[in-house]
Amino acid sequence: MTDAEHERSGLLDDVSLRSLGTHAVLYGTAILMAVPYLYTISRSFQPRRFLTSPKPFWIPPEITFEYYRHILTQSLFVQWTINTFIIAGGATLIILVIDSMIAFSLTRLDWPGQSVVMGVILASFMVPYYMNIVPLYTVVSDLGLVNSYWGVILPAVASPLGVFLLYQFFRDIPDEYEEAARLDGFSTFQIYSRIVLPLARPILASLALFMFVYNWNAFLWPLIVLSDQAAYTLPIGLVNLYQGNITTPGLHMAVTVLASLPLFIVYLFFQGEIVRAVQIQGTGTTG
Amino acid sequence: MGLRNRFTKESDHARQTVFGVRKETVEGVAWSLPYLAVFSVFLVWPALKGMYMSLFDWDPFVPSQSEFIGVQNYVQLLHDPVFWNAMQGTVYFVALSVPLLVLVGLGLALGVNKNVKGKRILRAIYFSPYILTVAVVTLIWSEVYSEGYGLINYYLGYVMDSPPGWLTSTDLAMPALAFMTVWWLVGFNFVIFLAARQGIPERLYEAARLDGASTWRAFKDVTLPQMRNSILFVVIIQFILQFQVFAQPYVLTGGGPRDSTDTLVYYLYRSAFSQQQYGYGAAIGYVLVMILVLIAVINFKVIGTND
Repeated sequence: MTDAEHERSGLLDDVSLRSLGTHAVLYGTAILMAVPYLYTISRSFQPRRFLTSPKPFWIPPEITFEYYRHILTQSLFVQWTINTFIIAGGATLIILVIDSMIAFSLTRLDWPGQSVVMGVILASFMVPYYMNIVPLYTVVSDLGLVNSYWGVILPAVASPLGVFLLYQFFRDIPDEYEEAARLDGFSTFQIYSRIVLPLARPILASLALFMFVYNWNAFLWPLIVLSDQAAYTLPIGLVNLYQGNITTPGLHMAVTVLASLPLFIVYLFFQGEIVRAVQIQGTGTTG
Repeated sequence: MGLRNRFTKESDHARQTVFGVRKETVEGVAWSLPYLAVFSVFLVWPALKGMYMSLFDWDPFVPSQSEFIGVQNYVQLLHDPVFWNAMQGTVYFVALSVPLLVLVGLGLALGVNKNVKGKRILRAIYFSPYILTVAVVTLIWSEVYSEGYGLINYYLGYVMDSPPGWLTSTDLAMPALAFMTVWWLVGFNFVIFLAARQGIPERLYEAARLDGASTWRAFKDVTLPQMRNSILFVVIIQFILQFQVFAQPYVLTGGGPRDSTDTLVYYLYRSAFSQQQYGYGAAIGYVLVMILVLIAVINFKVIGTND
């Protein structure tokens, strides 16, 4: 072996060793991150006597469906799921419609004061959501919306995030499309519905999925505004169940699995869209 | 059809009027109105009303009978040991969670960006806890942290005699909540950093290599400056989010043991919704805003310059 060859193979070893290290760290982290899931799923099927033994079982020595049956028949779980679905779905739909309308107006129409309006919306990003909860509660209460779907949906719809994302995207649509459409006699509504919305379909999908997940998971505001058990969303119902019977770990694990299932299915199919919604927020590009 | 024709048509649309107002102005306002109505009633108005409420001994049942007390709520806050304890807890939580969230997210992103196998599956796993509700996260970890039959303590049992109670020790409870939060949210930062890193043109690294730059120098002179905006975004957003930590102590520790995991938003929640002190709660909210604006300004100054 010549010196040059020697050096080269040494370099290769070094590179592959380092690559091995990288793989080990990345996959090690992934396994550690997945451990709580596997542990939870496994425990949700184990009879009680195995759950309270000091030695955890990874593979259930015996399988029981008692917790799942209990949750689906003895609790308001189904009602909570329906509530959550209506709230998250309703908020998402309204956000898509009214956010795309104002983003269209701010970017494709020309009217005095539009930059001021956009400035105020941007500035509202600096208002941390939680600091608003006390006055917001008095407003929602004055409107008689406590314990109602609307009491959760409307404050969620006020979020400026969607406006901000769509504004960036709509602004970058070339003027030529619009001018050609006007030439063909398109009305403003037709330009919105037949040109801008179809072009924006990918970002609308990302926004919709992100907003759905976000509102499905919302915790503090529903906790405050929904005091009636039958009106709870899943996150509030879960915690209520947990605080109500703190000594039944199997039940907690099963309800955790059930409550996460819908979003995991969504995640399985639409991972790319959800991730993109986050990436757009953080990098300011729609690519 | 020439440019001139198109131009005339354009101005046709712009010149139309409704009751003497330019049609496009009417349309522009009308299309904005639905969002602006919700935005005004449920975001802008509460923000202003909160400032007003914080100057009153607010009566939640008969608001008109609230007593104006000026800055008394804020003065009282400064002398409130519970407030300062919650402030200390919040700052401690932020100091534990934010650096880890940013550094682990960045490390994973730079790792995955390399020539590794199974990028998609890695990304799917790292990001997945982010789609869980905090209620699920706390329930899962209550089992993992459990003193008697928890996963961590079982394996620690092999190396030490009496593993600690993670959520029942005043020293460990807050770090335990912070660690759990990193597991939950690090994927958010990870995907942003990954997109930012992938957006850096490869030729910048080739140029650095030609100049004989080491891996470390390439990281310092190419990667970091190119990713500055994303890093700034992630740091600010994590400060804002983690400063508002609430559900983790609310569900898992109730602020204990011995108030070691109390936080500002948790105290705000108790003041307003357990003790019905709306004015006081609103004042805590405003103090939070001031802190967060200050943090954002500092971040912009420290990370955002050097250009």
